[in-house]
Amino acid sequence: MQEGATGPGPAGGKTGGARRDDASFLGFPRPKGRAGIRNALLVLGINGLVAPAARRIAQALPGSRLVATPYGRGQLGPDKEVHFAQLIGLGAHPNIGATLVVGADRPTAEMIAEAIVARSGKQVAIVTLDDVHEDALALTERGIRLGGTLARAISAERRQPVAVSDLFIGIECGHSDATSGLVSNPLAGAVADRLVDRGGTAVVGETLEWLGAEHVLAGRAAEASIGEAIVEAVARREKAVAALGVDLLYNNPGYENVRGGLSSIEEKSLGAIAKAGSRPIRSVLPFAAQPAGPGLHVMDGPGFSPESLTGFAAAGAQLMLFTTGPGNSFCSLVAPTIKISAHPDATRALAEQVDFDASAVLLARATVDDAADQLFDRLVDVASGTATWGEIFAEGEECLFRSGGSF
Amino acid sequence: MSGSEKPEAAWEAMAINAADNVAVALCDIEGDVNVRIGDAVHVMRVAAPIAMGHKFATRDLAAGEPVLKYGECIGITTAPVAAGEHVHVHNLESRRARREAG
Repeated sequence: MQEGATGPGPAGGKTGGARRDDASFLGFPRPKGRAGIRNALLVLGINGLVAPAARRIAQALPGSRLVATPYGRGQLGPDKEVHFAQLIGLGAHPNIGATLVVGADRPTAEMIAEAIVARSGKQVAIVTLDDVHEDALALTERGIRLGGTLARAISAERRQPVAVSDLFIGIECGHSDATSGLVSNPLAGAVADRLVDRGGTAVVGETLEWLGAEHVLAGRAAEASIGEAIVEAVARREKAVAALGVDLLYNNPGYENVRGGLSSIEEKSLGAIAKAGSRPIRSVLPFAAQPAGPGLHVMDGPGFSPESLTGFAAAGAQLMLFTTGPGNSFCSLVAPTIKISAHPDATRALAEQVDFDASAVLLARATVDDAADQLFDRLVDVASGTATWGEIFAEGEECLFRSGGSF
Repeated sequence: MSGSEKPEAAWEAMAINAADNVAVALCDIEGDVNVRIGDAVHVMRVAAPIAMGHKFATRDLAAGEPVLKYGECIGITTAPVAAGEHVHVHNLESRRARREAG
């Protein structure tokens, strides 16, 4: 039962479910923007001073999600902008039914709340230390009451059929091995193609993984200027790394990669970007920025998957596809994350981590296309409410990226 | 990963893109192997044992020829490579990377 892309699981087969057309899923329509595939209350701590209170509030409200930044002062310029972009993007996320903003000072909290409302039209409440004479316990109590009221309000919302064109997925890889470039990444790419062909949206990030294959990505850009932006994004990061004394093209792929069969940086990067599929690239998104339209996009961002996932989530991706070789338990907090592995040992050993077992392709019992049809079905099922392992075991976190240090 | 357990395997290697001139071993292979290229499965003989994840040429390649995987160039052959021969760092050179001297 373990092998095979038809493997076990609540959404593994074509039987039983009411939804068997892949043109729609059951989601939560929002006042603005994409529908949610979940409907959670977010407790959003926007300043490190109130992070413990935000945590207490979230603990008192079962089912709520907590994002509490440890930062919040002494940030300037692009670092401050990207920090706020992430907080606002997560607060406005389609899978969040309502957001409780927990802050230190009132003006910043109001600024964040207004931006969330402007983008999502959703209910937002604010509690700050300013309101309670710097009393963190009073802040906690007020936050629990306000958060509870929001949770009750959003509980009245019901899932409705929504076109799959409303889906926006982020595609990530972490802890890769030979099976990633061979099976899992091309599989994720084939699913991205299917979603884009149905009018949906997909994003891949991790700029430095394009190194060596940026000319291929650039060749797939919808316009020449987008291709130039891709090449420039890679060159900018390569230069920044070189300034720290690291030559990314020296002895890359490294010994382990070579032993696994990778012969060149081009081959390694092509294996990584295979998860983007083959459709035209519509834009290069700044980190955490929303795409302007449907189709495939690339995000200029860091290579650490927790930060990369938060960039996709802040951009509004409702669901993540996450490919791994030996395994990787990390998930987005706000966007259900489908873990994919084609490594037969990993899928056997990590039965409660790997959501989609693609080892049938490696074992030559299925083609990538067969598996992609099944993974697309799984994606629609998860969009409609089927839980991922990461949701069940609460493996989700958001990891805020900073582009500079505090002053 | 062991390459041992494949009782029902219909092919032991595959070209990721039908336009590729190399195929990748899905397990440790030697001798005559079934190779999936596009929708067809071909029988090919590999010159020497090839480890899982490694590549071999699916047709004769001249020295200086682009090696295609994922339908894209992953480097240039540095010597002639016969169909069925291992393609790796000994006969493929990146057009991008700087290798350690010696």
